[in-house]
Amino acid sequence: MTDQPLPPLPQIEAGPASVWRNLSVVWLVPVLALAVALGIAWQAYSERGTLIEIRFENAGGVVAGETTVRYRDVVIGAVERVRFSADLQTVVVDARVENEVLPFLDDDATFWVVRPEISAQGISGLSTVVSGVFIQGAWDSEPETPMRSFTGRDRPLLILPGEDGRRITMRVASTLQLQGGAPVFFRGIEVGRLEEPELLADGGLVVNGFIEAPHDQRLSMATRFWDSSGFSVSFGASGLSLDVESLASLVSGGIQFDEVYAGAGPVPDDFVFEIFDSEDAARESAFSVSSVGEVPVSVEFSNFVRGLGIGTPVDLLGLQVGQVTAIRVRTVETSQGPKQRLVVDLSLDPGRMGLRREASSEEVYDFLSDAVASGLRVRLMREGLLTSTIRVELANLATPPPARFDRAAEPYPILPSLTTTLPDLNATAEGLLERLAALPFETLLTQAISTMQSIEELAADPALRQVPAEAVTLLSEARDVLTSEDTQAIPGEARAAVAQLAAILTELREGGGIAAMTAAAQQANAAMGPINEASAQLPALMTNLRALSETAAALELEALVTSANAFLSSADTFIGSEDMAAVPPALSGALTELRSLLVELEAADVTGNLNATLSSTRAAAEGLPALVEQTEAVLTRANTLIASYGDRSPFMTETMDVLREISAAARAISQLASAIERNPSSLITGR
Amino acid sequence: MQIDDMENAGTPQPIITARAAGLVACPNCGRVHRHPAPARCARCGLALDPGPDKSLQRVLAWLVAGMIVYVPANIYPMLITNTFGHSSESTILEGVVELLQHGSYGVALIVFVASIIIPVIKFAAIGFLALSVRRQSILPPPARHKLYEIVEFIGRWSMIDVFVVAILAALVQLDFAATINPGIAAISFALSVAFTMLSAQSFDPKAIWAERDAAAS
Repeated sequence: MTDQPLPPLPQIEAGPASVWRNLSVVWLVPVLALAVALGIAWQAYSERGTLIEIRFENAGGVVAGETTVRYRDVVIGAVERVRFSADLQTVVVDARVENEVLPFLDDDATFWVVRPEISAQGISGLSTVVSGVFIQGAWDSEPETPMRSFTGRDRPLLILPGEDGRRITMRVASTLQLQGGAPVFFRGIEVGRLEEPELLADGGLVVNGFIEAPHDQRLSMATRFWDSSGFSVSFGASGLSLDVESLASLVSGGIQFDEVYAGAGPVPDDFVFEIFDSEDAARESAFSVSSVGEVPVSVEFSNFVRGLGIGTPVDLLGLQVGQVTAIRVRTVETSQGPKQRLVVDLSLDPGRMGLRREASSEEVYDFLSDAVASGLRVRLMREGLLTSTIRVELANLATPPPARFDRAAEPYPILPSLTTTLPDLNATAEGLLERLAALPFETLLTQAISTMQSIEELAADPALRQVPAEAVTLLSEARDVLTSEDTQAIPGEARAAVAQLAAILTELREGGGIAAMTAAAQQANAAMGPINEASAQLPALMTNLRALSETAAALELEALVTSANAFLSSADTFIGSEDMAAVPPALSGALTELRSLLVELEAADVTGNLNATLSSTRAAAEGLPALVEQTEAVLTRANTLIASYGDRSPFMTETMDVLREISAAARAISQLASAIERNPSSLITGR
Repeated sequence: MQIDDMENAGTPQPIITARAAGLVACPNCGRVHRHPAPARCARCGLALDPGPDKSLQRVLAWLVAGMIVYVPANIYPMLITNTFGHSSESTILEGVVELLQHGSYGVALIVFVASIIIPVIKFAAIGFLALSVRRQSILPPPARHKLYEIVEFIGRWSMIDVFVVAILAALVQLDFAATINPGIAAISFALSVAFTMLSAQSFDPKAIWAERDAAAS
């Protein structure tokens, strides 16, 4: 038993001859563990990122090991160390960032510390209140030469590099209160932001703005920017208007833009926009803009005018072509001793005057020289009746006083001017009010009222009311007459009379009476000829009428009112006259008389008389040939009369005149009424 | 058998080992076989002792694996704590230092002992035992056996750290306010402890005595 264990021992020792065969499977475990550990280590090392350094003036809140570096709000690294630069002037933050973003960290990469901030645009960075600050990085999407050392910004970058859109530069009037981050609106929608305004060496103020894609496509040469910050109060004929933009733009300023006309070309790269004070100013500048290529000229005025200032517009054919750039006084020696003249410098835009935009000043002066020769003069115009704003107008006069374009004058060529006496505003307004007050409105009303009263009186007259009753009585009397037996007998008599008449007519035909009548008819026909001709002249007449209407339209208001007044008063007189008042009684009397006549007729056996009359007619018919001759004569006379009417008889002419006048007067009233209706304020403002 | 060994450990009386008696006992069910034992236990089917050489290989393999994963366990953060956006990571040693700075010396000591001392001692002890099987050792077999017993008993307590991390990670998930997540080190450490325990278990204490038998014979 005891020697049995010995034999296996040599067998076991034979095993180790091959180390691999005796190797336990468990050795795989440490191999795997080693592989995994090495894998983890390698992964950690390769993902460790790269150390970059960022220099800040102030790294408040940045804590090594905790503060993260973010790009688009995603953590891409962490701060490892915060130290000072050698001269202690800046804080150097060493941060380890992911290798993934490293190629993009070129010279356009910027970093800033995000802290909680409360501004007019809202509250930002609120999450950093609890989590601590973080460093935000921004760069574009094009990898260039990577860098390891950066300088951080104090303030957040407003326009991130790589953001799609367009950067523009705008010139700012010094009065605009604009802050960095102020919004840019397009029809009330925020489409961009402004950076901090920069002061140029020459004292000018420019601000860079950023219009986000796709709104940057809206930019064109017709784009105008204006200040929409704050609120504006304007008071005018249409009342009080108050414009308030968004609260953010109220506090920190903001600008709006819009295209003021269509079809403008694209904006060149280095174009500098201008920010106007108001939307109106921006829109008024529609017909150009750049002060580039504007041509200076001067104008001398002998009288001093209030309301003229720098920026006063210069108009040509009602469109603005330039503006006043300077006003100064010059003393000139005249025959009456030294005299002061007002010299106004204008700058004209060739593009707005219909010349080429890039026309040289020589070309513009050539043009002005020709224009002055054909009547171009400069004069001052008041913009409205009640406003004191003045415009400088380049007016083309048909018969200008002789003048020439003084091209050699210094510093600028001088355009001839017209001495205009601009009425004082107060005098003008007063005169208008006086004219209004002088209108006899009250008289007119009184007359109208009295006319109405007269008509009412007439209608209320008892005599007029009796008329119907009288008429009824008259009718019943007439019926009585008609129903009487004698009257019934009339037809028989009449038939006989007709038979007689027929016989007479037969005789007439034989006697040549018809021929005479035919002749008379022909004459009448001939007389119609001139009437036709007169009709043919009607179009001409209408033209005259129209001309007359225009004259009438030009009539002054007072004359019109006076005429109307006179007309109404005469109408009143007519209606109110005693004759007119006597009409109803007279009518009534006439009816009464008619009735009494009928009664008398009845009583006097008028029927019998009628019969007798008819009998006698028959007898008289025998003397007809003579009558026919007389008729013929009458017809001839009638013919003459018609002929006289057909031509331009005085009667016709007078009638036409009266009609014309009425028509013209009517038109004038209608035009005046429509003019007032279209533009009630024209009575006040004169426009 | 082990209890007998323990009772007799340290006694000057010479001990007859099973191997010397030409017997092999199944470690699972205790069935005793004659020395050229079958490959598997006749009762329970367990693979019988493959021999001291294979056993030693297993011990060393587990030990090496445990030591390898112990490296990241100390380099990488054990806990990742997020509090209001602040994220802080700390390795075992950093945690101990932090505890010391906060004045919690007792806790710092416990963590230090459980996470650093005990594993290191375990590596040393198991390594020593494994190597001493083949060579002349300065310690007598009874002392080495005692050491083995201690290592086996104390090894599981190293898991304290892992349990703490597991419990914290499971409990503290308060979204934004505070979250605790286990780091790579937690997994590594758990693996390290498991590997060393397997290593200790793979060690056949009989080898301690077998060597003496060989020396004696």
